[in-house]
Parts: sequence; C-alpha cells; structure tokens
Amino acid sequence: MHHGNHYYGHAQVLAGYCGLDPDDPPRIEGYLQHGWNVLDGLGGGTPYAPGSPIFVWSERTRRRAWSMGRPLATVTGAPFLYLLRSESDRADEGEREGTIWYPFHGWEGQQVSGDHLRLIDEITATEAGPVTFCLYWNEYRDDRIRAAYEHAGRVVCHGYRGYMRRQTDARFLHKQLAELRRHRRVASNRLSTAILYGAVAGCAPAVYGDPMHLAGEDTPTAERIRREWPELHGTGPDPDRARAVALAELGDGHLASPAELRAILGWPS
Amino acid sequence: MITLIGGEMPEYAEQRPPAGGPLYRRLIDRLPTGIRVLIAGPHSGALVRAVADRREVTLLLRSRPDAERVDVRDVRVLCGTLSKLADTDRYDAVIALDGTGRLHSPEGPPLDWVESVRVLKRALRPGGTLLLAVENELGVHRLVDPGTPTAARAGDAWSPLGEFGSAPGRPDRLAAALGAEGLPVAALAAVWPLPEHPALLATPETLRYGPLDALAALASAAAAPAYRERSVLSDPRRLAAAAVRRGLGAELAPAWLAVAQLATRPGQAVPLPPALIAGPGGAVTELVKSPDGTWSRRAVQGPGELTGPLPSGRLLEERLLTAALGHDLPGLRRLLTGWMTELPNVPAGNVLVDGDRYARLDPSAPDRADALARFAHTLATGGYHHPWPGVTDVARLTDVLAGAAGLTTAPTPAPTAGDELPDIRRRHEEQLDAVRRRLADAEDRVRFYEVELGKREAELGRAKVQIAAFSGSLGYRAAKAGLGIARAARNRIRNRGRK
Repeated sequence: MHHGNHYYGHAQVLAGYCGLDPDDPPRIEGYLQHGWNVLDGLGGGTPYAPGSPIFVWSERTRRRAWSMGRPLATVTGAPFLYLLRSESDRADEGEREGTIWYPFHGWEGQQVSGDHLRLIDEITATEAGPVTFCLYWNEYRDDRIRAAYEHAGRVVCHGYRGYMRRQTDARFLHKQLAELRRHRRVASNRLSTAILYGAVAGCAPAVYGDPMHLAGEDTPTAERIRREWPELHGTGPDPDRARAVALAELGDGHLASPAELRAILGWPS
Repeated sequence: MITLIGGEMPEYAEQRPPAGGPLYRRLIDRLPTGIRVLIAGPHSGALVRAVADRREVTLLLRSRPDAERVDVRDVRVLCGTLSKLADTDRYDAVIALDGTGRLHSPEGPPLDWVESVRVLKRALRPGGTLLLAVENELGVHRLVDPGTPTAARAGDAWSPLGEFGSAPGRPDRLAAALGAEGLPVAALAAVWPLPEHPALLATPETLRYGPLDALAALASAAAAPAYRERSVLSDPRRLAAAAVRRGLGAELAPAWLAVAQLATRPGQAVPLPPALIAGPGGAVTELVKSPDGTWSRRAVQGPGELTGPLPSGRLLEERLLTAALGHDLPGLRRLLTGWMTELPNVPAGNVLVDGDRYARLDPSAPDRADALARFAHTLATGGYHHPWPGVTDVARLTDVLAGAAGLTTAPTPAPTAGDELPDIRRRHEEQLDAVRRRLADAEDRVRFYEVELGKREAELGRAKVQIAAFSGSLGYRAAKAGLGIARAARNRIRNRGRK
C-alpha cells in the first residue's frame, strides 16, 4: 500500500506494538494517517487507491472523512500514542527544561516562505528558558536556515521521514518522544502534529508567532484551524485543556489492542 | 359427528396454520371445567383436545375437509359459515383465537368484524366468556411482510381488505368496540410475534409501564424462531424489540387477545398475568410484579430454573449494535470484553446487560461456542454500519471483535450460515449496493494501479538505461555516447531551423 504508511516509522512502531518484527512491518491493507490534518486523514494530494480502508487518528477525523466521501475509515489512534503507551515507564525520567520549538516546515512538494530571523526574535523574547529548535529535515538541510537558528539555541532534527520506503528513520518517533520529554514547553508558529505530540508527552503547548506560508497554501484552512482549536493557540494556553484537546485529536481512548490492530491492518496473528 | 349447517366449503382446506401454541393452551387450562364451549374457526388439535378435557365442546369450521379430519373424541363439529350458526345454541364460553376472518365462506353474506362479533355474542349465555383474537393490520408481522395482503392470491382471499377492514386498530379501541357491543373486556393482551402462535402475551399496561428493556428482549427472542429463514422486508427481531422498548409494544403487536364477558360477573373467567412467555421446549413462564415494584419470573410449566428475578438491563445484541452504529469504539470494546469475560458462550441475543452485570435472558437456552462469531455475522451481513468498514469478511471481522474483546487468541468456530436469521429483503438491497460499490471501487483501483504501474515502468526504463550505461561494455558506452552526440547535433540543427 502507500509508502506514506512508513513515514516516521509509523508502520514499524505499530508492528512492534503488535509483537511483530519492527524492522520488517508487513504490508498494511490500507492507508495510515501520517500526520494531523483537518481533511479526511490522508491529507491533500495523497494518491488513493479507491475502496481502500484508511486508518485515522480520531473519531472527529473519521466523521469528516465520511462527509468528504471517504466512508472506509477506521479509527485506530495515532501511532505516537501507541509508542507513548509502550514507553510509559520512562515518562518521568530526567529533568525537563526550556522549550522545544518547531518552526512550521515544508516538504518535498511545498517550501515554506517567511522571515525566520524575525520569528527567532519573537521566540527568544517570549520563551523564558533555553530553546531547542527542532527543524524538519527540509529546513535542517538548508545551511542558511539552520545557521540562523543555531545562533539562537540548540538545533536538532528528529530524522528523515522517508520516501518510497527508503531512508526512513524508523526511530523518528522515539527520538521525538525523547526530546519532548526533556522540555517543559513545546511551541510552534502553527498548530501541527508536533504540538499535539508534545502536549500528550507532558509539555505545556503554545502556538504563536508569524505563521509563515506554504507555497500554494489554502489560507482559509489555516484560519479555520486557529478558529476551531483555540485551546492550543497563544503563548501560554491552559495546559490541561490543551492536553485534553490534543489527546482527543490523537485518538486517545480509541487505541486497539495488539490482537485487534493486527486483525484491522490485515497482519498475521 | 359433523353437522352441516350450511355455507360449508366442500373442497377447500385451510392453507394457513390454525391458532395454537402453549400460551393459548395455558389460557384454555384456566377455563372452568364442566362448561359448554364453542370453538369458532381453525384451532390446533392440541388446543381443541385441551378444551375438550372435561368440557362439552362444539367446533365450528367452514372447511369440510378440515371438519372431517377432526379426530378429537366427543367433539361436535358444525361445518358451515358463521352466519348460519343457529342462535338457539348457547355456550358458557366462545373461543375465537383465530379471529373472525376464517369463519366466513363464499356462500354466506360478507359479515364485517362487528357483525361477526354480534353473531359470536348471540352464542353466549349471560355471563359467558368470549376469548377473541384480533389481528392488527399494522402489526410488525404486516410491516415486515413482503407480500401485499390486499393483493393476496390465497384461496380464501376473495375479499382481501387488509388494512381497509373494519376491525379495531388499537387495543383501547378494541376494548371500546367490544364494550359497545355489550361485551365488556375483562382482560386484554398484545400477541407477539405472530397472531396464530403467540410466544409472548403481555397486557398493554405491562407494555407501557413494565420492564420494557427485558420485554423488548423477550419480543426479539420470540421473533427469532418464528421467522427463521422466512422471507421478510426488514428484521422482525429488531422491529419487535424497538417497538416494545419505545412503548409501542401494544400498538404494533401482530394481534390482540381480548377476554370479554356478556354482562360482568364476579371474578375473571380467564385471568391474564402481566405477561406470559413461551420458551423452547414448551416451557411457560409468567411475569410477576412484587409490591416493591421489582419484576420476577415464575415457571408455570417446564423447568423450575426459570423461576427467579427478571434480570434488568438491555439486550446485549442491541447494545452492541447501538455502539457499533454510533462508532463508539470504547463502549463497544467494553461491552465485548464484559460479555467475553462473563458469558462467552451465550449468544448476544440471550444476554441482558445492565452496567457491568451480564445475565442470561433465557437460562434454559443452550450455550453456543460460536457466540462471538455469530454476532460478527450479524454485524457484517445484517445491514449495520460499524467501526471497521474496510473489513468485509466475517472471519476477519470475528478476529477484530475477538481482539476488541481483549482475547489474545480468537476462539471462533465459524458460525452456521443463515442459522436463525430471517431472509431480509432490505439486506438483499444493501448487499447488492455493497457489491456494486465494491465492483466500482475495484474497477477504479485497477485504473489507479495501471497509472501507478506506468510510472514505475517509466522509472524502471530510465534506471535500466543508466545501469546499462554504467555497467555495459565499452562498445555499448561508445555507441551510447555517439548517440548522445548525434542527438545533441540534431537538436542544434532543429533549434537553428526555428530561429
């Protein structure tokens, strides 16, 4: 099925959860939602083989997918939550300090345009503690952008999400979880998957600063996100309310047991 | 001994089954002995024999072949049409549990319902009892019937009025109509699931103020065997349960049974409990309400294990379907887990769930090791949305449900195909739609894969050229380079030509 199932090592995480070899996840009979979005779970432009099941993170997304003509959606919850569940014993290891900041990123098909220096100024003026900037591989590989952030703090990258099942960093989510657990706050200039992950991994989330723009982006969607999820926006939203919203968006309470997940994904028991 | 009273049907034998069953038998047993009884219309041999036990019985049948087949001793048989019934004979009780529809022949005047009741009334002695069943033309049995009663082709459908007939259409109107004829109603019960063979008799009060969830479960359980493999429009089990649970159990019952008396006298000749239930193997229980308001069951026939408190809560199968339709995955998993922990071998249609309590509805029903697989079958083929729409195979859906129930291995023998399920027309439509959708998807998918394959083949072709260029022989590489130079030269010439 679609190579997007392997982005960020999602298929690998689920295979491990199901008691199968995480280095060699079986083919998934359908499409895994690979990032938080306000569409049908697949995100715009994903080539979809008609009649294939899609595995979405939340019930809200499933309902939306239905309304968009994608009836074959099953709520499985985000792979990150499965990882969080299996790594829950390490939740309280070590001290948390500062903020991990995820500047809005582009990808192979769309580049972000905006003033990174001005954004950095706003971040350093807002954040009290040390800031770790987590750049997506797209920006991390851009020496000019990376240097700008390196002047202001520590810069990390969780890895390459992979493309056509090649160069996938299967430990992407593990690295991300480890980084999130080192920080008190998680922030970005857009509400995005990383903010939701951070909120459920124990960070106080914040969304502020110049939202920047993706090439060819649908601006009403970005505005809708700000309007629909106010609990996560601002420099210091209420962490408890934000966490509850993030948990719902990632499908907390909907995670399947390993046996159920194997049967859903068409994997051997 | 047969007396031909006139208007008999010499060749015609009744085509539908007569009224009968253990619940009617139970009512008959409550009649006093030593009385004169008229049984009007087709009733089962067992029922006639039960009445004839220590009572003087006259049987009225329109069909001569049926009259000749009566093999109950000491029963006088009158063969003919109702209007020919002599008004000189009087009886202590008149039993018309088949209704009035099959009392008339083509030879007699077409009496309507009230006129028929008047004839039956004339046969009663003062203080006499009338046991009369009235079919509900808008009952659930009609709503699920794929046939059209007003276009029936049966041999006795010479005037098929159906819902245009004059019989009362509600239990309270039935009581009022009989009262207006001087036959005050002493007791009334709704008949489920079929008019001629009740498995649940419940009074309208019970169906309004009683334990509706349990009664709904009982109505559904009663409908299951009655409709096994019968062709229906929609599932009578669900419709019966929904009607009862929503407080419409009396109004949508397939028939009503009225116990009326010609002038009242102290006491009831045939008392009706709040509800009478027939179980498998002829067992009969009745519902009893205790002074503190709780409900219990009492076995009046059959195994004593049926006696005890009535379990509270709703039918598990309905709770599961509700959760599935609402895409309430956590709720569905909780129910499945509780069920598989408490009563893994009891079919979901025989389990009542109240909070965390799971109880058998009918303790005498046998266990089934394939209970979970049977529910998977219902979910996959019964026309229900569920949270796993991509899983269309029953065996795989059973595995999913087992996983959702917290079972690590699925103890899932395959369900017996079609077992206990009515043949539901709406489901045929749905299945046809589903097949059409899947076929259209499959065709689209083939086109999608063709495009994908085209892209991959193009990529492969480019890769092959590169591989050949880098790993091929020196001659090949020279030729390839020459070809490149030639192509460049051609392009230059072309470009120059355009300028």
